[in-house]
Amino acid sequence: MWKTDESGRRVVLASAAEVAGRVEDGMTIVLGGFITANHPMPIVRELVRRRVRDLTVIGAATAGLDVDLLIGAGCVRKLIAPYVGAELYTPIGHCFRRAAERGELEIWESSEYIMYAGLQARAMGQDFVAWQGGIGTSIPELNPDLKVFESPLGDGKEYIAVPAIGADWGFFHVGVADCYGNAQHLGARFGDRLMARAADRVAVCAEKVVPNEVIRRDPMRTTIPYADAVVEAPYGSHPYSSHGCYGEDAAHIRAYVAASEAYRKGDEAAFEAYLAEWIDGPEDHAAYLDKVGTRTLLELERAYAGMTSGRPLREVGAHGSGGMR
Amino acid sequence: MAPEATAAGAAREPASWKEMMAVYFARRLRDGERIVSGNHTEISYGAAMLAQLGHAPNLRIQFGGTGWLCNLVGREVWGIPRTSTEYRILDWAEAYVDHHEMFLFYGAAGGGRDYYEHPERYADSNRWFFADHFFVGGLQVDYRGNVNLIGIGEGTDFTMRGPGTVGINDIVSVRDVSIFMTAHDTKRFVEQVDYVSTMGPAGWREKGFRGNGPQRIVSPRGVFDFTGPGMTARLRGVFPGHTEQEIAEHTGFPVERSGQFAEIAPPTAGELTRLRSIDREGVLRA
Repeated sequence: MWKTDESGRRVVLASAAEVAGRVEDGMTIVLGGFITANHPMPIVRELVRRRVRDLTVIGAATAGLDVDLLIGAGCVRKLIAPYVGAELYTPIGHCFRRAAERGELEIWESSEYIMYAGLQARAMGQDFVAWQGGIGTSIPELNPDLKVFESPLGDGKEYIAVPAIGADWGFFHVGVADCYGNAQHLGARFGDRLMARAADRVAVCAEKVVPNEVIRRDPMRTTIPYADAVVEAPYGSHPYSSHGCYGEDAAHIRAYVAASEAYRKGDEAAFEAYLAEWIDGPEDHAAYLDKVGTRTLLELERAYAGMTSGRPLREVGAHGSGGMR
Repeated sequence: MAPEATAAGAAREPASWKEMMAVYFARRLRDGERIVSGNHTEISYGAAMLAQLGHAPNLRIQFGGTGWLCNLVGREVWGIPRTSTEYRILDWAEAYVDHHEMFLFYGAAGGGRDYYEHPERYADSNRWFFADHFFVGGLQVDYRGNVNLIGIGEGTDFTMRGPGTVGINDIVSVRDVSIFMTAHDTKRFVEQVDYVSTMGPAGWREKGFRGNGPQRIVSPRGVFDFTGPGMTARLRGVFPGHTEQEIAEHTGFPVERSGQFAEIAPPTAGELTRLRSIDREGVLRA
């Protein structure tokens, strides 16, 4: 049942379409990255293209417009995330807001650590984790899964029992990975390591697939070992940034915000046009990148390299992984 | 023209409301204190950067959700981050903590209330933990200092869905929470918030949280503290160009003066010049 190489070791290279094909209607997925960085967009776009239905989507702790896109495309029944938006681009995701205000989205009301506590409980094999943050707020009233209890230590303080939350699949975007599923971030890791631990199966999109020897040069940097699938996806976080590699595409993000804002205000055609142009139109990730254009991609790389101290890209790469370039 | 020269020239333009708020916050930060700057907070980013590059070079700053601990002293400053995952923050970072592990830094020295009642006893500690300052924004705030980021509505029927609580309720171990409101009217300053994302200071005390919780509400018009009966809001100060009368008209609860009421001094030329040399992209003037 496994694909193996000549050594007998399991090889997990896959396409985004193959990974998305293993996601069934009604499953729970957890998505990594943070706001405008490191989202596994080829898998997200495949899920939208297939119009997978009734997903429960977890995360990120500060979820970006990747989750907003899934909501807008009608893929999400239930959301477990304490924020959806993109800060200065848009403080609230418009599709999220539209769905919530129309009663089309079940929101598992939470906060950053209430969400993490649930994932941590699952990761540790516990039924719940106790957390004080959220006591006295509306969160336990809006989320009946959260049980308020009095501390058994006898000081009368209240705590929340946050039940374990797990996922069928976790999807993440990293810098490099090998064919055996060993993945290394090249910049910030956000909550990815914990989220990956709480998922039954994990797929990573990697900017570059590197030989196992490159991973072994610095095993301390391996953040997600033994993923179930590795999708080679250069520029795979576009339009969001990929730490260590390139910056976010502000113009594209603004175009998405404009389309989704129009959608929230009743102009469904504007959002359909975005989906048709950027999701349904390009047949795969390479076709998507063709559409974005080489010039834009190079500019986003240059933007990352051009941090004002003038640190060149190769040095940033070395700071991440010697094998990157 | 050198950027400094541009900034100095620009300092002759009057301060914007965001700049006034940033300077007000910066003045509250003392050298050696520890601060976390949350999301969508160009004002609090600006304040922390202004303080660290001025009177508080040992201010310990964590920028946003990326978990980078930053010191900007001697670094080139390109501007104020657009988001808390802004990759250019890396240029100022000296350490990184995974986001979920940030919550391991919520416990202050001493382990109990002592840090919050007697921070001077820990002045010798150089450690990073998250205990002195935090900034929270809100869709609504009420006179008890309850903040709402969840939405407007009742139960799960939202007439307006907000972005979500993010992590503001998780923070139960901060000495001094500042609530910043980016607009000040009777829709936002209300008798009772629709939903509570984080409680006011009396709630923190009642529930036995270690920290002190909200100490100020700051808006473009003025500042409230919580010196009223039962730790309720009292008008602490008015920003230049605004009046008590105007604030009373735009506030949905009765406005009375705090015992320490004072007019807030406008930014000095030095503060404004430094702030504008930090805010090169002008996000505080947009």
